[in-house]
Amino acid sequence: MKNKIWLVPGIIGSLLFLAGCSKEPLQNLTPEESRIYTTSYDSSANFQTYKTFSIADSVAVIDNGTVVKEHSASDDAYINAMYNMMQQRGYLLVDKNQSPDIAIAVNRVYNTTTGLFDYGDYWDYYGGYWDPYYWGYGGYGYNVPYVFGVYQITEGLYSIDMFDLKNATGNHEINLIWNGLARGAGVFSNTTANEAVDAMFAQSPYLKSTN
Amino acid sequence: MKRYAKIFFPLIMVFAFANFANAQTKAKEGELKLHLNYNYAIPLGDFKNELISNGSARGFSGDLLYQINPKWAAGISAGYQDFVQKYPRAVYETGSHESTSAVLTNSVEISPFMAKGIFTPMGGNGKMLQPYISAGAGVNMLNFRQYLGEFGGADNSATFIAQAGAGLNLAFGKTKESGFSIGADYNYVPYQRNGFGNMNSLGLHAGLYFPLK
Repeated sequence: MKNKIWLVPGIIGSLLFLAGCSKEPLQNLTPEESRIYTTSYDSSANFQTYKTFSIADSVAVIDNGTVVKEHSASDDAYINAMYNMMQQRGYLLVDKNQSPDIAIAVNRVYNTTTGLFDYGDYWDYYGGYWDPYYWGYGGYGYNVPYVFGVYQITEGLYSIDMFDLKNATGNHEINLIWNGLARGAGVFSNTTANEAVDAMFAQSPYLKSTN
Repeated sequence: MKRYAKIFFPLIMVFAFANFANAQTKAKEGELKLHLNYNYAIPLGDFKNELISNGSARGFSGDLLYQINPKWAAGISAGYQDFVQKYPRAVYETGSHESTSAVLTNSVEISPFMAKGIFTPMGGNGKMLQPYISAGAGVNMLNFRQYLGEFGGADNSATFIAQAGAGLNLAFGKTKESGFSIGADYNYVPYQRNGFGNMNSLGLHAGLYFPLK
């Protein structure tokens, strides 16, 4: 019987090729599918008892610990979407000087993480790629300083906060009673704002005034 | 059920045909054979009910088996199967008084490495068509990823796997030592993490086998 061991590397290569055909979950997501909308609330708050609200007219941009106020098209879109949804749920918009029950603040948050790629392995084998003899210096070795590559990943999201002003005096503090987060591809587009806020309110049926 | 009937009816027909196949073939003792298979797998139990209900057409397996005698072979087996399912947007409870609206994607890659034995009850009769049963056990490298939208995490773990299977070998060629193979395997994979009980599956395979020397 002819020895067929030589077939094995080819077969293993073919199997590895097949393994490369695995489906990468994130590559099959549309921008809409990539987005998530998370809401959380204070279970001790009775949202039906609040009547009025006010929205800050600009957005706090929180970028890695620093805060500035800005006013972009997408910021306006989120503010308007909140204004519309709160009114649909029976809350009355008032000026911030008219003692609103709820204060709403829209925030744009950026968080940048930094990491290091270690190129050590690459340089360790450099002599194997280009033997110093190639340059006419046979017998010499390479001396390469340790090298890192730096990468940064920035994630951005919209965070919408509702604060309890109605009971602030009694509580001696302003409590956060509701928060909505929009994360994922395209959340900073003004066309996404309505979709995001609609989803947040759809999963928050308790947000309803008895007005 | 109809789907399974479609799969197994041809197998039954092949079994019937086996009675008429009189080509003389005999597994040689001491022979080392490589079996290579394309796999289609169907999740079962908790795996199907709680993670992924779709079948996976992305899988393969390979067995390296030593022929102990005409009826028994034993060796090692390795494979790969990739299960992925994306669920439409829905609202999930992600914490105390916290809800998240998201498209949920579950991804499970399994890579079993097993010791395996095959019993061919008609192995000594020299017929071209040979039914077999198999059993194996070993370690399953499991990569479970779950995403809400584009955000998620992975759980890489090594679990136990036990496998029982049955199928048919159809010899071809001059020496009749190589052939086609079809069959089905039940894979028992306990997975007591993240609230799940198992990642069991039914694998259907078709492939080739041939001696290495």
